[in-house]
Amino acid sequence: MTTSFDRAPLSRRGFLRLSGGAAAAAALPAVLAACGGSSGGSGGTLRLVGVADQQKPLDLLTKAYTQAKFSTSYAPTDQVQTSVRTQLGAGNAPDLHVVYPGNGSAMSMAQIAQAGLLADLSDQAWTKRIPDNFKPAFQLGGKTLIYSAGSSVIGAIYNKKVFAEAGVEPPKTWSEFLQVCDKIKKKGKVPIALGAQTPWITQLITYALVPSTVYAKNPQFDAQMKAGSATFANSGWTQALEMYLDLQKRGFFNDNPNGTTFEQQTSMVATGKAAMAIQVSAVLPDFRKAATSPDDLAMFPVPGADDASQVWIPAGVVVGLGVSARSKNRDDAKAFIEFLGKQENINKWAEAVACVPLVRDASSKIDPVLNPFLPFMDGGKAVPFMDQAWPNAEVQPAHFAMVQELLAGKTTIPKGLAKLDETYRKK
Amino acid sequence: MDGARASGGRAGGGRVRSRRRRGGFLTPPWWFAAPAVLVYALVVLYPSASGVMYAFTDWNGIGDRSFNGLDNFQRLWQDDAARGSLTNTLLLTVAIVVVQNGIGLLLALGVHTHIKSRAVLRVVFFTPAVVSPVMVAFLWKYVYNPAPDAGLNGILGAVGLGSLRQDWLGDPSLALWSVAGMVVWQFAGYSMVIFLAGLEGVPAELHEAAMIDGAGRWQRFRSVTWPLLAPSVTINVMLSTIGGLKLFDQVYAATSGGPGHASETLSTVLYKQAFVYGNYGYSTAIALVLALFVAAVSLVQVYYLRSREVGS
Repeated sequence: MTTSFDRAPLSRRGFLRLSGGAAAAAALPAVLAACGGSSGGSGGTLRLVGVADQQKPLDLLTKAYTQAKFSTSYAPTDQVQTSVRTQLGAGNAPDLHVVYPGNGSAMSMAQIAQAGLLADLSDQAWTKRIPDNFKPAFQLGGKTLIYSAGSSVIGAIYNKKVFAEAGVEPPKTWSEFLQVCDKIKKKGKVPIALGAQTPWITQLITYALVPSTVYAKNPQFDAQMKAGSATFANSGWTQALEMYLDLQKRGFFNDNPNGTTFEQQTSMVATGKAAMAIQVSAVLPDFRKAATSPDDLAMFPVPGADDASQVWIPAGVVVGLGVSARSKNRDDAKAFIEFLGKQENINKWAEAVACVPLVRDASSKIDPVLNPFLPFMDGGKAVPFMDQAWPNAEVQPAHFAMVQELLAGKTTIPKGLAKLDETYRKK
Repeated sequence: MDGARASGGRAGGGRVRSRRRRGGFLTPPWWFAAPAVLVYALVVLYPSASGVMYAFTDWNGIGDRSFNGLDNFQRLWQDDAARGSLTNTLLLTVAIVVVQNGIGLLLALGVHTHIKSRAVLRVVFFTPAVVSPVMVAFLWKYVYNPAPDAGLNGILGAVGLGSLRQDWLGDPSLALWSVAGMVVWQFAGYSMVIFLAGLEGVPAELHEAAMIDGAGRWQRFRSVTWPLLAPSVTINVMLSTIGGLKLFDQVYAATSGGPGHASETLSTVLYKQAFVYGNYGYSTAIALVLALFVAAVSLVQVYYLRSREVGS
């Protein structure tokens, strides 16, 4: 029996020669690319890896900076978390990379700085103007290790048309908030869109309420948690979660929040099917993109107390940039951070991501929808996002899971908070 | 034909051996595999083996590490989330192996007929298998939209089955099975192709003989087709078991292991331990246990399934 192989005119020597040549030809571009990559890295090109939210301001500012060339890449949070942390571990981190303020996540300033992988920025002029209440987000052991252009707030993004149809105004107290929701519900609209299938969305209502139920009464709560003299279970966290579940019990959320995504939540508010969503101001651009007109949307602080003077709000430093301590281009990278720290560049970055600038001057343009939040920030009634003070990266995901289980009726508030306390105490 | 080749081999053994020495293409020498083996060893075996060491450390991925003996394995044993994810993984695997291969076999039998559209149908059923699993998960998130007028719920409502509407991914008791449904939809066509290859190899004369003996359709399937499909069953069951045990993409993209921990699998737990929590040492320990578990299950399966193959 013959096969096509038997008939093949190609000899073994010929085959080897051919396949060897093909392999060499295939390998050549890779070898050349590798050579090109290594020489390019030391030729004044700064490698920058950012999170997707940072692309808009950084496209603008890297173009405006003429002292260096940039090789940039951006990806969603979880992908960046995977790739940058791996590069940090392998010793080939980018010169400039995304860093989350404070502590509480695997890519947070404190977690990376503890391994000695962030360059000290303390000698730069802009660091002297960091407001005191934001210092824990920027500094560890007295050294400033991250650049961030400002802070975003958590509040209710609402559809003005739906509010007008229901004849309601932004509320100032919790009772008023419940009345507003009730009136909207009676008009046949969903008062609050909740996309709790997307894990990070689950935390936002707790974060919006905890400043009023915990920090307004006890501003030292974070320090006491660290010292072990306070717990989530025996604090205003219980009250905040009761208020969260009360909203569900009263039917103020869309059906099946655990099966609803962030995108669906956004669409519901933008198209007027729902009146509002408790959200971080950084996602305003997503809501505006989905709305017929960006002017249909505005924001108000969620009043977590019945006494308007006891209402506090969450305002967290936005995701920033750090310089790799082991970078060969460390000085060039730090020079770029110094450039970003100039007031006009802080303003440009803040404007691009709709956040409140770290420090303000006459030229700072703040998105008008954030105006209702400024008195709280200027009056010392704003606290950083809670996870920025948590000691390990497991507490925040444990909070996500707890809220989903609470919404599904699979756990109780005391059990959920006991588990959160246990996770907080892990090394 | 086989007999002729065998006897030819015996009678002319010297000639065959000399052909091999001269470098016949039928039996290439072992060192032809050397480049592939070398690359595989460098890219897969060496990193995997050297990674095992981290399972016995407290490494956080970026800092110093110190050996902590069997602490990570002890922690795995006591970790409720990891144990829950093992149960989920096993349930998911059993569901996928049974349903995916069941549907795959039915599809294969369906298109192994003389119907006119069989070529088109084969392509249609196989198409989902070539789409990226992550993409499939994102698409199915739309199908599983909990709104009453959207996706699967909308279809159920339109055909008068509105009472069957569900919160497919948001209900903790349903999320795992919804993910299983998504995986089955994607890979049933893949199983079908392997079964089809097996069906093509079933000699028509055996069916003819069985028909002459008076065997009905079911009897022919049970006594002729099914025994001769055993090699395809072995491959399909093994591939779907391995795929189920290390399922990650679809689960992570569709539910991230939620709601709560309801659809967490061993792979999502090990991913989160490494890349979300920064517990690389513990994560490597989970990966090691998972790899050994998959290897053990696969070996037992192959041993058992091979033993029932015709001619083994």
